[in-house]
Amino acid sequence: MPNDPVRVAVLGTGNIGVDLCERLLRDPDFEVVALVGRRAESPGLRRFENRIPMLLSGGIEEFLPVCQRVEGVFDATSAFDHLRHWTALREHGLWVIDLTPSRVGDAMVPALAGRISEMQMENRAQPANFSMVTCGGQSAAGIAFAISQRAENIAEVEVSSSIAALSAGPATRANIDEYIETTESVIAQVTGCPVTKAILVLNPADPPVMMRTTVTVKAERFDLGSITEGCEDIASAIRKWVPGYAISVPAHEVSSGVLSVTAKVTGSGYYLPPYAGNLDIINAAAVETARVHAEATRSNSARN
Amino acid sequence: MLQVYDVTLRDGNHALRHGLTSDFVRAYCSLAERSGVWAVEVGHGNGLGASSFLVGKSRENDASLLLAARETLTNVKLAVHAIPGFATIKRDLVPALELGVDVFRIATHVSEATLARKHIEFLAERNATVHGVLMMSHMSDIPALVQQAQILKVSGASTVVLMDSAGHFVPTDVRERVLALRESLGVEVGFHAHNNLGVGVENAVRAAENGARVIDGAAMGLGAGSGNAQLECVVANLGRLGLSHPPLAGVLPLSEAVQGEFADSLPRVTASSVESGEAGVFSGYAPQVEDLARAFGISRSELWAEMGKRRLVAGQESMIREIAQDLMNL
Repeated sequence: MPNDPVRVAVLGTGNIGVDLCERLLRDPDFEVVALVGRRAESPGLRRFENRIPMLLSGGIEEFLPVCQRVEGVFDATSAFDHLRHWTALREHGLWVIDLTPSRVGDAMVPALAGRISEMQMENRAQPANFSMVTCGGQSAAGIAFAISQRAENIAEVEVSSSIAALSAGPATRANIDEYIETTESVIAQVTGCPVTKAILVLNPADPPVMMRTTVTVKAERFDLGSITEGCEDIASAIRKWVPGYAISVPAHEVSSGVLSVTAKVTGSGYYLPPYAGNLDIINAAAVETARVHAEATRSNSARN
Repeated sequence: MLQVYDVTLRDGNHALRHGLTSDFVRAYCSLAERSGVWAVEVGHGNGLGASSFLVGKSRENDASLLLAARETLTNVKLAVHAIPGFATIKRDLVPALELGVDVFRIATHVSEATLARKHIEFLAERNATVHGVLMMSHMSDIPALVQQAQILKVSGASTVVLMDSAGHFVPTDVRERVLALRESLGVEVGFHAHNNLGVGVENAVRAAENGARVIDGAAMGLGAGSGNAQLECVVANLGRLGLSHPPLAGVLPLSEAVQGEFADSLPRVTASSVESGEAGVFSGYAPQVEDLARAFGISRSELWAEMGKRRLVAGQESMIREIAQDLMNL
């Protein structure tokens, strides 16, 4: 981006918020103006002393008076708080990237931006609210879309993910049903197939396992060769922001009319360890979405 | 009073590759109704909402199987198995409650009980009988097991069921674990055996002798891998030991019904099942392991061993192919 860096704030000082800040601070396209938590003694806030200009411990209330210093906000708090945050931020005209499973905003899988009309980042109602769906959604939607473009009469799509138990915090565990519903809904959206199933398995193995997501599709006709190519295309697009994303089991027919592809996600290890590929892929997608959307929003306002 | 819990129509569905029909459910349940078993568990091998390409598609859906059982059972309780991550409250538990399921077993991998908290709370608030289940229980030591069982109890489970999903335990393991849970928990304990090493019945009986209240078994042992503890043998052994039990004459017709209908699918202890029991791998993986070992031309026993080494849990069918691929490329 030739312009000045995009000025942003991060709400939430948990694992996701800290990983986001580490990521954004290393990215020349961004300037992290504020990190907003709720407790002055929070280790997440203290970690960024002298690295982020405004470390606020008074929650959204303390942030709103200074919110015009940023262009957009990453919300890494909770689904419950997100609704309240969004109501306030929207009045101030700030775009928001939502990392909670609230589903208040529109689902965004940056791998599909420009490939699916609803997932374009330009020409949106302002300000935009992008929901980053789930880790399973981010890791599977691209593959599912690629298959759906190369198969006829898709009857069913299934997405099963296994993640390291250590990478699933209390919120993920408490929201496993919401995870399933959100993943199923984004897969239906990108494939156009209403019959979808999502499965999540936590594996406690030590050393921790890398995240894997398998997409299985039942369709009338498909060409494995072209699907393999399509999946590799999507995988290399995703690798731009998640370098450790790779197809580990290429497209193969599991039974007549049913094909399956598995991807493996190794995290970048900014703050969270490499086995937390599930968190990595969501955070990386969030940053990518912010980058493209901010640029589009700026060039729009430049034209107007 | 000991409760014999019949998993034939659920775990047995693994052996039938999830091909159970409502006709057989009806026939079996009418025999079960007169058998003296406490509950009959019905459904896909991995429970509610688990019909999938990953584990295997059900020939008939959950609702149709459960309805057939509900119409037939009055004295014997109708039970289901549900694994969070496969089943959700809204899509699976609510309809099962409405259909009149009596006993809900909410199951997680042995170290992941927190995944079941919401589901157990939801059911307990609605006065359903809830068992919390720890699958693959051989993968944790006793203190960790007790701690996870505590989570299930606090969430509202009246019974904590240990599943030896890999058929890895020897009778001493069962005794130690049942005693530890009873002493530290103050909830009822259940035990669910698999027969990979040929001690399924003995493990079930050992659990009963040491105070487990709920003992799982399947007619003819019909279940994943080399099957479960054979129900009719468990009952006969309980009788010989002078422990409370349903009448043998009540459960033998169940055995004959299964033998008559599924002669070709009856589980056996095979070289492959011993390998999986020894490696401590989920019994339900047997069909995939055997198919993939053949398809990739690799050693089945090496595949089981490698899966054990990578500490696969239930629900990771798609990993088997990747491991097979790796072994082939060695």
